[in-house]
Amino acid sequence: MNYVLHILVMILIYGILTLSLNLLVGYGGLLSLSQAAFYGIGAYASTLLIIKGVNFFPSLIFSIFLTSILSFFIAYPSLRLKGDYFVLATLGFQIIVFSILYNWVSLTKGPYGIPGIPGPKIFNFELSTPFHYFIFSGIFFLIVFLFFKKLYNSPYGRVLKSIREDEIAASSLGKDIPLIKIWAFAISCGVCAISGSLYATYVTYIDPTSFTLDESIFIASIVILGGSGNLKGPLIGVAFMIILPEFLRFLGLPDTIAPNVRQIIYGLLLIILMKYKPSGIIGEYNLQ
Amino acid sequence: MNVIRLKNVSRSFGGIKAVNNVNMDFFSGRITGLIGPNGAGKTTIFNLISGFIKVDEGEIYFKDENITNQPPWKISRKGIGRIFQDIRVFKKLTVLENVLLGKSNIGENPYNLFLQVKKVEKEERGNIEKARYWIKFVGLEGMENTPGENLSYGQQKLLSIARLLMGEYEVFLLDEPTAGIHPEIVKKFIELMRKIVENGKTIIFIEHNMNIVSEIADWLFFLKEGEIYDMGKPGDILGNEEIRRIYMGLSDVKT
Repeated sequence: MNYVLHILVMILIYGILTLSLNLLVGYGGLLSLSQAAFYGIGAYASTLLIIKGVNFFPSLIFSIFLTSILSFFIAYPSLRLKGDYFVLATLGFQIIVFSILYNWVSLTKGPYGIPGIPGPKIFNFELSTPFHYFIFSGIFFLIVFLFFKKLYNSPYGRVLKSIREDEIAASSLGKDIPLIKIWAFAISCGVCAISGSLYATYVTYIDPTSFTLDESIFIASIVILGGSGNLKGPLIGVAFMIILPEFLRFLGLPDTIAPNVRQIIYGLLLIILMKYKPSGIIGEYNLQ
Repeated sequence: MNVIRLKNVSRSFGGIKAVNNVNMDFFSGRITGLIGPNGAGKTTIFNLISGFIKVDEGEIYFKDENITNQPPWKISRKGIGRIFQDIRVFKKLTVLENVLLGKSNIGENPYNLFLQVKKVEKEERGNIEKARYWIKFVGLEGMENTPGENLSYGQQKLLSIARLLMGEYEVFLLDEPTAGIHPEIVKKFIELMRKIVENGKTIIFIEHNMNIVSEIADWLFFLKEGEIYDMGKPGDILGNEEIRRIYMGLSDVKT
């Protein structure tokens, strides 16, 4: 049972991450490869406060603010760079953040990681079992889901989509494109911090290898595979991508080749989808 | 009243002077037409006024305020709206969404979205009502939920007009507004243009259909190779034999 709950908790944590990227990709038309960096910054920011004795919730709020402010580092290039060039800029940011997490040993403990992160405390009750985390992450997931649902059906969501479709037409209608994009990044990266904080306290240990470029590519793959531009696509993507390796486990593949087979399947799926269904399984926005 | 003034405005692309030292005044309550052969600089002038292309030399004023080289969204917010020759409707968005985008809403800022929920909702309700009015006006009633990409060329044009009208601008820059539209709607649109200027607004338009030009324009600028070749009342300009020859592309033909 704990095994199933663990999978569900991971789906919820990645679900939040995926929804955050969906805002940029599906609504803003901005493919970012630095979501793992913000996920990591959020995780570290919360953890560093929590191990100093600060409660989970103020730590979470701090990490959301911090990632939202730092999002400016990728929001600014997005105002000048288009398409592939913007993707490269985000990739650069991802590599920089990983290097900092890895090398700033006095703060992050570098490759040794930070073990023994205590679980969130609600009054005197400390979360400890996978079931607790399932409920806890579920509540956060629901809040984030409803938040994005409201955002997408709002005037802001509409303007964001108009910018994705045609920046020239949008600016001719008085839409302040830089401001709209800066908001999108701030929101998206702030939401990453929620995932990061949940992940750190759930796994109780973080090190920089959880927040690598591979992780960013994995998050982007989920959004691309499920389809972006609506709320259902990314969630189908996340369920599929998290459950797939677990499913492969039951095929009895030797441990040495199982991860490679998984990567090959991900890669093949992406190639097939890009060729035959570039908008993903049920996406509305076509990345091409 | 002088609403838009171009003062010694020039713009080159490569070595070609697309607009060369142009001085123009556009007055409120007047429909002004820009005509001339292809490549005369008509659309470039629109792009310069609306900020999509930067001015090399000279200044552009909107009601005595220097708006030269300001970003397009700022110019739009000051009250200068435009439609494009290549239409530019938001293809994945519905007709209603397209028209709603014509007007700004405080909910376009996420901060207000969550902190001023009632105000945003009230504004949105008002905007939806207005949007439906303009959708009906241009004859797209019943297609509110149709994505822009499913409309025909003419319908997309109508949609872009509805989107512009939603903006309640002071100055309307219309780049070939009637091309590809059903004559009945053109008639309605011309009536509306009249009504708009009667209310003290300004319309500047680019048009190749000389029947429409002579019917609605109060004043014409005839452009050739980036310069003002002539200006005046439509009767004088369109009656000028030389201009007719240039416009018909016959200027090089020896008679």
